[in-house]
Amino acid sequence: MSTANVTLFDDEFLKKLEYLNIISKRLFAGQLRAERRTRKRGTGLEFADYRAYVAGDDFRHLDWKAYLRLNRLILKLFEEEEDLPIYFFVDSSQSMNYGNPTKLDYTRRVAAALCYIGLANLDRVNVISFADGVKGELPPQRGKGRIFKIFRFLTDIVASGETNAKESFKTYCTEKRRRGLAVVISDYFDQHGFESALDILRHFRHDIFVVHIASHEEIDPPLRGELVLVDSESQVSREITITPSLLSAYRAEFLRYCEAIESYCGKYQLGYVRTATDFPFEELVLKVFRQGRFLK
Amino acid sequence: MTFLALSPLQTALLAALTAGTIIALYFLKLRHRRVLVSSSILWRRVLDERQSHSLWEKLRKVISILVAITIALLIAVSLARPEIESLTGKNERVVIVLDTSPTMNTHTADGRTRWQHAGDRARALLNTGGPTTEFRVVDTSGETASAFTTDRGEARRLIEQMSPRSVEPQFPKVDAGDSQVFFVSDGVAFHELPRFVRRVSVFEQAENVGITAFEIRSMPSTPLGYEAYLEVQNFGKPVEVGITISGTGGQRITRTVRLPRNEVFKEAFDLSSFGGGGVRASIQSKDDALSIDDVAFAYLPTKRRTRTLLVTRGNNYLETLLKLDNYVELLKTDPANYRESPNIDAYIFDRFAPSTPPLRPALIIGAPAASWLRPATGEVRKPEITTWSENHPVMQYVSVHDVSIERAARIDPANLTVIAASKQTPLIVASEKPKWVMLTFDLDQSDFPFHVGFPVFVENVLAWFNREQLALRGSPGNVEVPLAGAQIRTIDGKTIPSEQQLGKTVFEANEPGLYAATQGDARVHVAVNLANRAFSDVNRSVFKDDKLAAGPRYWLSRELWFYMLLAAVVLIAAEWFTYHRRITL
Repeated sequence: MSTANVTLFDDEFLKKLEYLNIISKRLFAGQLRAERRTRKRGTGLEFADYRAYVAGDDFRHLDWKAYLRLNRLILKLFEEEEDLPIYFFVDSSQSMNYGNPTKLDYTRRVAAALCYIGLANLDRVNVISFADGVKGELPPQRGKGRIFKIFRFLTDIVASGETNAKESFKTYCTEKRRRGLAVVISDYFDQHGFESALDILRHFRHDIFVVHIASHEEIDPPLRGELVLVDSESQVSREITITPSLLSAYRAEFLRYCEAIESYCGKYQLGYVRTATDFPFEELVLKVFRQGRFLK
Repeated sequence: MTFLALSPLQTALLAALTAGTIIALYFLKLRHRRVLVSSSILWRRVLDERQSHSLWEKLRKVISILVAITIALLIAVSLARPEIESLTGKNERVVIVLDTSPTMNTHTADGRTRWQHAGDRARALLNTGGPTTEFRVVDTSGETASAFTTDRGEARRLIEQMSPRSVEPQFPKVDAGDSQVFFVSDGVAFHELPRFVRRVSVFEQAENVGITAFEIRSMPSTPLGYEAYLEVQNFGKPVEVGITISGTGGQRITRTVRLPRNEVFKEAFDLSSFGGGGVRASIQSKDDALSIDDVAFAYLPTKRRTRTLLVTRGNNYLETLLKLDNYVELLKTDPANYRESPNIDAYIFDRFAPSTPPLRPALIIGAPAASWLRPATGEVRKPEITTWSENHPVMQYVSVHDVSIERAARIDPANLTVIAASKQTPLIVASEKPKWVMLTFDLDQSDFPFHVGFPVFVENVLAWFNREQLALRGSPGNVEVPLAGAQIRTIDGKTIPSEQQLGKTVFEANEPGLYAATQGDARVHVAVNLANRAFSDVNRSVFKDDKLAAGPRYWLSRELWFYMLLAAVVLIAAEWFTYHRRITL
């Protein structure tokens, strides 16, 4: 673990995580329990519904009071209590190693914070790093005590390779996976397009939350004059003369690109937050909470 | 296109070298800075969209290098001083000769003078031609002759400073080999011109009456009597002319005469009632166009007899001559009884010379031995007078070409003025200080006393010694006075600058007038008058504009290199502006 990475998850960071945990509980107090539930009816403690008794049903769930009043056998249904998984897809392509702080560092902090909240809520937290394929996978973790394992995993991620989210998600999801919340933290600079990748997750019926990370150097590039631009992933270079009008065109294109991602998310009712790396990560986490999808 | 500073080959080589250098520098320019970006997806989209939709984007690089080459070529080629004949004209030379003869002062119908019209025409000529056309301005008085210049302002200033001069005009020597020669004139003083000269006429018919002659001369019949001879001619329509002759003492003679066209009025006016001093003649007539010939001057000597002491052992010719001279009060003595007297105005030593020079001037006949005179170093038999100075005052109206001399003394003429001489020896010499005239021969050894010029010679000598002389006559321009180191003044007492040339004083008389040259006790008057028919006849011209009198005009008033450098500066400014806004690369 490098010095930089040691300081990434220092005591101050841990204090912030605890603070976020408290904030999250306060935000959703009186609404729902922290644990996630499936829509399945099962043997849980929470009453869910009634239905007519059919042969073979468990007698223990018959509502006898209703039988006395209605003279019909009615079965009480209970919600199945089941821990649903949260999948954190962390983009670790070379493009994430850009900016100051780098997008990957920022992603690490955001992912760590969300993982901590998930662990604290007794969710099953999975962390997957991807680029042109699945580069690393942390097996499902549960309980706050596992956060340091997640820290180590996140710290060990190295930015490299081109982005191919579609292939990465396809590879990961085609193995037997339970449906869950897929949080995709990425800059979404994918030569193959972000839509097809998110389509894969949608196809596997995951609940999707899109976290779009951009560095301020990408939002407003500090470039002037005649340059050779080198793509950090493909290493493709291109001579270019940066003019004010070209910069304006770029900024407009960047905005269009962000709006396209947001529009896609809106179309399929996916959670979406966009941030710059100079935006405080705890604020971002709160934005995620306010979206209402992460904590249910 | 032609080039003034370089040959076409040199220019082509310079242009090629410059363009090559710029292209090489363009490709050798600093490599672009490499900048790593997270992804080039968005940049590619922007650039692809721009490049596919804009011809300008495609041409931008080409335009940048073309602009750079153009700037460099403009600067390089401007060094060769190019010219395009249709825009700037070719490199030609124009000589503008301005007639500064007196008739150019003639007034025209519009109230201006021919000279003012000539100035306008000359300035109009300066506006023709191209920026490389070189001009030279010359006048006919020899006063102004500029070098060739492309600076029209300098030529204009020169024209402003010029003015008609009352001197005999002469067409200047101009080389027509590679020049166009324009002559701006009224054509009065010039009838024959070189064939290459293009005439620009400012002639216009005018009325003029002028004094064509005026002088004071002695009256042989009257002792100490003088008369003024006046000639007036009408060069226009018939007109009444008022004539006035006035003296410094207030004496005045007036006359009115009617003069038909080209008629000459001639008359000698008796000046016996006039005192000595300047005499002015003037004429007045209606619509007179030239005023410079309406006035003339002369000088009337003050009347005074000369007390002359003749020292001789006996010379009847001389004695009789002097007795008959009304201007001479003659005293006579022999050499033994000679005593210098302060009452004597002049001495005549006949074959005698005192041991010391007299305080007053002396005429010495023969070559007597005296320490203050040149000793005779020998004798010349039958010397023949071969040279004599007609301009010397003592030789005025005297002819000595057929004088026979039996014997003459041989002397060294160093530091003396030789008035007449044979090949072997001076025969008449003069000294300024002390003032004396010496004949190196005896009168009885010559037939000079029998010549008609002898009394005039004696009279001239005595006049040169003491009497005021008639004024020398001169024309406007440079006037020579045979008096070394003299100071020149006008009749009003104003000093005129003068120069010394070979024992003479030379001054410039721009206007007719009476001038006095003084040097110690000596005084010479000079009457400067135009008095020239050629100048007064202001209509004696057949001058007309030549067809090609006007030069061509061109679009550009400066050399092409100026506009090329201007264009280069504009392009550099535009390139700087567009480069910093990344419009160009």
